Amino acid sequence: MVLTSEQLLQTDAQILKTKHKKQRQRNRPRNKRNRLEDSNLTTPETSTTDSASAMPENQDAGATEKPRDQIMAEREAKKLAKQAKKQNKPSAPATPATPATKIITEVEQTTITTKLTTTTTTKAQEKANSLAPKTAPALLANGKEAETGEMSREMIKAEREVRKAAKKAGKGAGAKVEATTQQLAALKVGDKAPGTAKAALPITEEDHEKKKPVLSKAERRAVQEAQRAAKAQGQVKKGQPAGKAPSSAAPSKEAKRESVSPTKAATGSSSPSKCPASTPNGECRVKLFNHLVCAKADSQFINDPLVHPSIARLGVQYAKRTVVGSNARCIAFLHALRQVVHDFETPAKKEFGRSLDAAVKHHVDHLHKCRPLAVSVSNAYKQFKNQLTQLPSDVPETELKELLGHFIDTYIENQIGKAAQAISGFLQEKITDGDVLLTFACSSLIQFICEEAKRRQVAFRVIVVDSRPGCEGQEMLRRLHAYGIPCTYVLINAVGYVMAEATKVLLGAHALLANGYVMARTGTAQVALVANAHNVPVLVCCETHKFSERFQTDAIVYNELSDPNQLVRGDKCQLSNWKAKGKLMPLNLSYDITPPELVSAVVTEVAILPCTSVPVILRIKPDIGY
Amino acid sequence: MREQPLKEVTQLIHAIKVGMVEGSYSITNKTLDIFKYIIMSKSWQNADALMQIVRAQCKILQAALPQETVTSNIARRILKLTREEFDLLHAKVQHFADDSQASLSLHKLVTQTSESNVSVDYSVPQQGLREALLDHLQEVETELETSSENICVQAEEHIHSSEIILTLGHSRSVESFLKRAIKKRQFLTIIVAECAPACRGHNLAASLAGEKNVEIVVIPDAAIFAMMSRVNKVIIGTHSVLANGGLRAACGAYTVALAAKHYSVPVIVLAPMYKLSPLHLCEQDAFNMVGCAEDVISYDSIPAREAKVYSPMFDYVPPELVTLFISNTGGHAPSYVYRLLTELYHPEDLEI
Repeated sequence: MVLTSEQLLQTDAQILKTKHKKQRQRNRPRNKRNRLEDSNLTTPETSTTDSASAMPENQDAGATEKPRDQIMAEREAKKLAKQAKKQNKPSAPATPATPATKIITEVEQTTITTKLTTTTTTKAQEKANSLAPKTAPALLANGKEAETGEMSREMIKAEREVRKAAKKAGKGAGAKVEATTQQLAALKVGDKAPGTAKAALPITEEDHEKKKPVLSKAERRAVQEAQRAAKAQGQVKKGQPAGKAPSSAAPSKEAKRESVSPTKAATGSSSPSKCPASTPNGECRVKLFNHLVCAKADSQFINDPLVHPSIARLGVQYAKRTVVGSNARCIAFLHALRQVVHDFETPAKKEFGRSLDAAVKHHVDHLHKCRPLAVSVSNAYKQFKNQLTQLPSDVPETELKELLGHFIDTYIENQIGKAAQAISGFLQEKITDGDVLLTFACSSLIQFICEEAKRRQVAFRVIVVDSRPGCEGQEMLRRLHAYGIPCTYVLINAVGYVMAEATKVLLGAHALLANGYVMARTGTAQVALVANAHNVPVLVCCETHKFSERFQTDAIVYNELSDPNQLVRGDKCQLSNWKAKGKLMPLNLSYDITPPELVSAVVTEVAILPCTSVPVILRIKPDIGY
Repeated sequence: MREQPLKEVTQLIHAIKVGMVEGSYSITNKTLDIFKYIIMSKSWQNADALMQIVRAQCKILQAALPQETVTSNIARRILKLTREEFDLLHAKVQHFADDSQASLSLHKLVTQTSESNVSVDYSVPQQGLREALLDHLQEVETELETSSENICVQAEEHIHSSEIILTLGHSRSVESFLKRAIKKRQFLTIIVAECAPACRGHNLAASLAGEKNVEIVVIPDAAIFAMMSRVNKVIIGTHSVLANGGLRAACGAYTVALAAKHYSVPVIVLAPMYKLSPLHLCEQDAFNMVGCAEDVISYDSIPAREAKVYSPMFDYVPPELVTLFISNTGGHAPSYVYRLLTELYHPEDLEI
């Protein structure tokens, strides 16, 4: 599934609406806990009393010695509850469009869940009751295996979660729910999604083997992280089959079950105690590319407790290539960043700006580990850092946060939204009746331009050139088809065959380098080359937020290597088990570099320019590079 | 009068169409067998009659298999042989000792064309023509058999050690050429573009992977330009060589050649002599064939219902993008191809 920038923009608007409500309604307790966590990290000896005073009504007698664990467990349980509710969601009447929509931004999910908490808690309880007979044996088995201490931990977790839910369900209903708490505590453990229950099981067993009475923090975090990853993955997979059909509980369950295995693998291979140090990258076997690291399909999740869930999820989405495309990656990053800023609590006796800067840097490093940052993302990050240094010092923290949130919103709006409109405006003059536009792979900007031209009722058609192994052009074809634009589809081999028909070549870009070279999806340079040979003008569409001050003259010095196994076509392919065949290596480059002589012009929101004017733009827009 | 195809010809056409006979070499071999059979048969009495039969069968083959030019090439060879042998015998009878023989000196060619106005009457029955033809045909057969080997021998002349070579798809000549090079030279890197949608490049890569001292990199077709900056030589096969020195090659060859031109990388084309065809085509639609689109995008996907999908089989590569042809008789520049054609075929047979 691919998130479009437009869809992301839509959700952006949604968030803005719900944001303020949420702030008052939900996030306060969470923020407190966050602060607790932070203070815990810095001063562990004072945290006990701190947390005890913070939430006295939630304290259990036996749990006072390990409040941190409780908090963790609580959070985990809450997450599971969310998941459980998500499963039950189709039955709830208060979810009008959610099953159909395919966008999974963390923010949206949270809004849904906050909406749902009031309406579906009772339903969830009913569901839990009905599920009880089924899950009871499993629970018993689990219980037998686990030690009693382990069991009690589960119980506490569940109880806590139920109380939380009850609290949210409303003040009036609170008392009633309180009465059934004991009963539910037993059930909720079983009520968990089967996938996560299973995911949790091997981990608990593993811990169990070590015979430690109290789990170390790192281990707990690992458990939490693994579950979070499983959740994120489950949701990603759930989004895929969603489509128009009502997403019933069955496929989502299945998806979750599927999602268990990578998690298992991740937790199995890297022992939880030393997880932050583990690197997911392998060396590329092609001699020419020894300096580049090769992405693995089953990239392990980097377990890091300091990473915000939204960033962790984004990291997984980057690594799994569910969020692709410069713009989509940038927007997703900024959304996650806003969440980080929103949930950020300044440690005691620290300056807001600086500590946030450090935290964000850590998050960006995490994302970089998942997949090398896109130029658009690193530009956005630079801008954000720049903004941080300029924060006024005499303003309360909440206002600063609002300022930063506002900055992020305007960045998305100006650099991506309005830029796309401006570029489209420039290009509309160029697209006339009878035009045949040739484009390569999938670009949200090109799609936007084509849709705009269609709205103007220009009679034009589009040739979509595509390439294995990504076949992103099929997505482009689907989107253009939805707008009723007549399309032709060929693979990149046949570009010479169709180039004679084309009147203009429109290409998207990943980045524009300072020496005028265009960095884009592999194959772009080839299309430009053939277009040049046929004397067809090549227009590269690129917003200025993708301009980079890097210099590069070929695609080999710096590039990104995708999973080589993508080249293998099925089991019958000669390339299958290529690893066994000695010196045979598939190579899957992500980007290539188009020299400026092959590009007629670059269309930016500033103007239509020759490629070589990139440094000029970089200079007149100094906030981009520095 | 419409000629009926021979039984053998229909069988061959069927075999090629269903894919039982694949590759230019085997098609050429089978066609040659048919013409040999025709020559051996008693159905003709004089050279003219034989030439008519050959022409008729060739036309049938051409109509049935427009993309397989090798069949007409062989027919032209036969026609040329017939003319030569007839002339030779005729000359022997009349002048007894014509010093010119059938040697193809430029002088001879010039005089021949001026002579040809005085047309030779091929309908005169000639003694010993059949035997002479069969003898000569034997030569052609051996030439065909050794053509691949003769090309391979030249591998050492063109490839040095630790070279980076790029090739496209899977050509049998390229496969044996590279295997030879791998044996003789060390530390080669061979980059194979997979040539989607059929991805025959995978087969070539798998077949070459067994050798030692070689690194084989399989790349998607999109990465050709990106990799070209590091490539020393491009070695490709071709479907046929056109009269102007251009190529009708597997789809994607045009991009490869263009990228090579952009980086000034020499493009070496392996083409045995039987692939030279006296055709002047420089337009896609003139010779291209469109393959099955199912491999490009599956029929049941939603956008495929509305979109036009093409899967062309061939690419035209203009002669200016080709550096060198390597045939079984040695290397040739693209500009020299016209000369080879006049040596191979009689000017009157160019149009069958």
